[in-house]
Amino acid sequence: MQPLQSTQDSIKKINQNPLIFFLMLIAIIAAFAVFFNFVTGGDFLERTNVTVIISHIVWPTFVAWGICFLFACGYTDLSIGAIIVLGSFATCIFGNWYGYPGVMLGGLIVGTLLTFLNFNVFAFTEIPSWIAGISLAMIYEAVAVFLKVGKSTADLIYAEIDKSLRILGRLPWSIILLAAGFVAAYIIYNRTTVGLNIRAIGGNKEVAKALGINIVKTLLWVGLISGIFIGIASIVQESVAGRTTVRTGLTSIYVVFQPLAIVLLAQILQKRINIIIAVPICAVLIYAVFNLLTILGVPSGTLQEAFLGAFLILFGIIGQRGYKGVVK
Amino acid sequence: MSENILEIKGLNKYFGTTHANKNIDFSVKKGEIKGLIGENGSGKSTLLSQIAGLYPRDSGRMLLNGREYDPQSPIDANNCGISMVMQELGVVGTLPAGVNVFLGRTSQFTRNGIVNLKALNKAAAEQFAKWDLPKVPLNELTDGMMIETRKIIELARALSVDPQLLLLDEITQSLSMNNRNRLYDLLKRLKAMGRSVIVITHDVEELIQITDSITVLRDGAVVGEVLSAKTSPDEIKRMMVGREISGEYYRADMKPDYRNKVVLSVKNLLVENEIEDVSFDVHEGEILGLCGLSDSGIHAVGKAIYGLTRRSGGTVHLVAKGLDIKNSTMALKNNMAYVPKDRDNEALMINASILDNLSMPSLSELQGKFGYIAPRKTKRLASDMTKKLSIKCTDINQTVNTLSGGNKQKVNLGRWLAKDLKLLILDCPTRGVDVGVKAYIYSLMKELKKEGIAIILISDELPEVLGMADRLIVMKGGRVAGIIRRDEDFTEHSVIGVMI
Amino acid sequence: MNKTRISFADIIPFAVFIVIFLFFEIASGGKMLSPFNLSTILEQSLITIVVGCGVLFVVAQGSIDLSVGANLALSGVVATWAANAAGGVLLVPVALLVALIVGIVNGVIVSKFKVPSFMVTIAMLIGIRGIVNYIQTIIGTQYIPESMTVLREPYIRYPAFVLLVIVMFYLFEFTKIGQYSKAIGENESTAEFIGIPVPRMKIIAFALSGLMVGFGTLFSLTSVGGTSQMMGVFFEIKVAMAIFLGGVLVTGGTSTKLYKVLLGSFSITIIVNGLALIGLSETQYSQSVEGILLLLILYVTIIANKRKNRVRALPDELEKTDLKPDQIITSGS
Repeated sequence: MQPLQSTQDSIKKINQNPLIFFLMLIAIIAAFAVFFNFVTGGDFLERTNVTVIISHIVWPTFVAWGICFLFACGYTDLSIGAIIVLGSFATCIFGNWYGYPGVMLGGLIVGTLLTFLNFNVFAFTEIPSWIAGISLAMIYEAVAVFLKVGKSTADLIYAEIDKSLRILGRLPWSIILLAAGFVAAYIIYNRTTVGLNIRAIGGNKEVAKALGINIVKTLLWVGLISGIFIGIASIVQESVAGRTTVRTGLTSIYVVFQPLAIVLLAQILQKRINIIIAVPICAVLIYAVFNLLTILGVPSGTLQEAFLGAFLILFGIIGQRGYKGVVK
Repeated sequence: MSENILEIKGLNKYFGTTHANKNIDFSVKKGEIKGLIGENGSGKSTLLSQIAGLYPRDSGRMLLNGREYDPQSPIDANNCGISMVMQELGVVGTLPAGVNVFLGRTSQFTRNGIVNLKALNKAAAEQFAKWDLPKVPLNELTDGMMIETRKIIELARALSVDPQLLLLDEITQSLSMNNRNRLYDLLKRLKAMGRSVIVITHDVEELIQITDSITVLRDGAVVGEVLSAKTSPDEIKRMMVGREISGEYYRADMKPDYRNKVVLSVKNLLVENEIEDVSFDVHEGEILGLCGLSDSGIHAVGKAIYGLTRRSGGTVHLVAKGLDIKNSTMALKNNMAYVPKDRDNEALMINASILDNLSMPSLSELQGKFGYIAPRKTKRLASDMTKKLSIKCTDINQTVNTLSGGNKQKVNLGRWLAKDLKLLILDCPTRGVDVGVKAYIYSLMKELKKEGIAIILISDELPEVLGMADRLIVMKGGRVAGIIRRDEDFTEHSVIGVMI
Repeated sequence: MNKTRISFADIIPFAVFIVIFLFFEIASGGKMLSPFNLSTILEQSLITIVVGCGVLFVVAQGSIDLSVGANLALSGVVATWAANAAGGVLLVPVALLVALIVGIVNGVIVSKFKVPSFMVTIAMLIGIRGIVNYIQTIIGTQYIPESMTVLREPYIRYPAFVLLVIVMFYLFEFTKIGQYSKAIGENESTAEFIGIPVPRMKIIAFALSGLMVGFGTLFSLTSVGGTSQMMGVFFEIKVAMAIFLGGVLVTGGTSTKLYKVLLGSFSITIIVNGLALIGLSETQYSQSVEGILLLLILYVTIIANKRKNRVRALPDELEKTDLKPDQIITSGS
């Protein structure tokens, strides 16, 4: 029989076991945590700080999972930040009106609807998604401003969401939500027909087409799935923060930068570990770094942004290592 | 046995104004292995694609088992018992091998919305066992796998439909000898089961050996059908091109004829995973042929010489200048030229004008003071070349994608002929052009040879290199397997002996 | 076949320009054409055109530079600070140098490390903006030194502007830099297979983009008189919109022309200016109008170019009929 093997060299095989790699990763994070703790004189691993880290990674993690589906089929959407802002407003308004059902449905419906709308634009106009996303972000930001300047709406969006409605931003509920989200994302990404079809489109569009996968339909599914994750993210965001500020001049794109950094880092680890699993790990890692920077007194909004930009470029560079195709 | 599984009557297919399939009448019997052959662009892949439901026909009828057959999609075709392995499709690298086998049909393993990967892999393994295909690690991503392995996954995918009619488009060329034999056995088994197969391959001898009957296409139309047992390679070739081909447009002389001066000296060329230890010299006025099976590395040699791939070792020495060519920019600067195999994606700017395409490699020569490139000069170059090569166009501002295959290839060659060349690398220069342009390209090569330009001719078509080359390098598995001179045993038979 | 018919794709930007112009001219009751307003439009288009001419090289290659706004702020802040600290003359070289360096860094990351350009330049945008804000929290807003206000004089400002545009026009339309950039946009593989130094050309394009930001900074600083918190905010989108409104394809290529930047810059300025004239200058109006318009124009440009490039190949068999016999070489036999 003709030997058929993959061309991967055997040295790499030793590290192939994902479980071992996963444990290694956890060990590295633990080591870093201890090191950070040492640097900050015990502040880092202090209980309240750990709670802060955990409750703050939940919504970026959800956004990052949403972005995973986008990236899997080869699309980018820079309007997600603006969608989260609008979703958070909906959470706040409907939450204050209808209690918990309002909290859940408000953010979820707005997030899902808008992301779904975006994918209609991407699928039908064939405008490259990054620039279409920028245009849509401008429009959604404008909508947020309309709400802000309108007399009747301004009070609604700037009213803080009722304290009793914010349990999704606190332990243990945020962790439970995170676990549920993880299971859902993992199953959809790895164990459903639509998940496999999404990845097929990103991997090789021609093959996907020839095997009868409906490209447009699948893209709309991506909009729906990502939209749900982004909708949940906006609910959690509002629950954690209590209120959301209007962002204009494309500054809403900044909102997705941390999640974007998470996904880029997760993509680097993807060869060894499923990206859905990698996302929360990377979220902890990145948030911990920024938390450390804050504790060390690096001003946020200025120098921290500079670090974020640098991280993004760095992860991008590492992720593209050895890539031979054409990149625009 | 004599009942037809598939019958096609008066089928037509147009792409724009190109008449890709003309009034095709074609049928396949139950339990028949049918060969389909024709030159590049003769419409054979187009025909198969319509049978497989990839795109609709424009007119004509298709009958499957006597009933009207009109597939809307490949899935539709699958449901009717027809599946296809396409020539240049492949697998999805970001998904595991097992999923690739059932991609697009994963819902059959779904329970409560969740795909049961275990059941899927088990079913995939069963397919490999059932059809006696070599084992493939089903849980691994196909990204790192060899071309052959990927092709076998595609084959498993097509077989998993349990097809009554299997369509194979150029699959043997990416298989090694052992697996080719397995495929032949598989075809025999399918035949014994009463299943039918349509095979496309460029290898005439192979086709005759493995099929029951052969249909020959030319310029989109059926020119004839022959029984494999009662035909010869020569007859089929004659039908393919529509005239006697031997000795007509190739060289007539059987002696190597070139000057002594070495133009380019390649030593111990090494490109990881592609070629190793390739050494040769090319002389002034020499046509050096390179041939070999599909993963022999001949195409990689061309790319490496022109500095397009990073080489891990060896030198490409341009003797006259005393230079080692390290990248394509250096090659361009030093009177070298490279005509890639993939004309539409690698060679031409398909949406740009003839003018832009023709002038692009010569801009350095055209620039004047302060780097000024006068539009008047580029225009003159383009119209001169258009005239010289008689490129059919309305004017030089026409975009290249509105040209026919042959004229595209003339633009592809013409942009280099405007330069003062020392070395020309041609990778399958006659791929997808009709006979007339083919003859023209050979005459051009002879002209260039006379002018003392060294030519490296890389080709998948054995008759072509045998017809044109002074010396022939036969490659196998990324290494030079032999170098044959024109005055030695210069026949297909001897070359194939070295190749395999 | 029709010969030199002007294509639909080339007319659209002119039509857009005229429609926008007429709309605001009528909506504003003729205020658009007042001499004062016209000079305002010219002044507001100036910086967009200067920077747009640089970014054009990047766009022609099919990439994008979204860092120009932040770059403008950074070079402005650093140059003003240097000029105030160590002598007014430093303003010019420092502004150009800082902007150029940012451009080169972009180019190196995009070409050598193959990170998509929109990603790199957005990351640069946020990172540089962070640094600018940090610097400004320390030194605050600054004014350019008195000695440098001479650059504001029309007899320097406008000739300088015209000269810059002419030089860029020359580079883009009549030199290898421009031609190679367009080739890269058409098909990067082809460019590489010909032997065009693709990575070097990418770095040059981003460097030119950066350098023109440097000039833009000087125009901006001298017209405003100093730096501000809002310097360069949203400017990258204004430049990108100018280029795309002018009818340049997102994928670049040989249809990219420099005049399109001028046309698009005036279009976008008239939109902003016109909205203000009819009393809708607030963010929500301008941003939604711009967002919708950008989507529309991109869509229309893509459709128009698809129409233009619809394959109309002559079938090969048609040619064979008039194939000259001497083209088939019958050697010997």
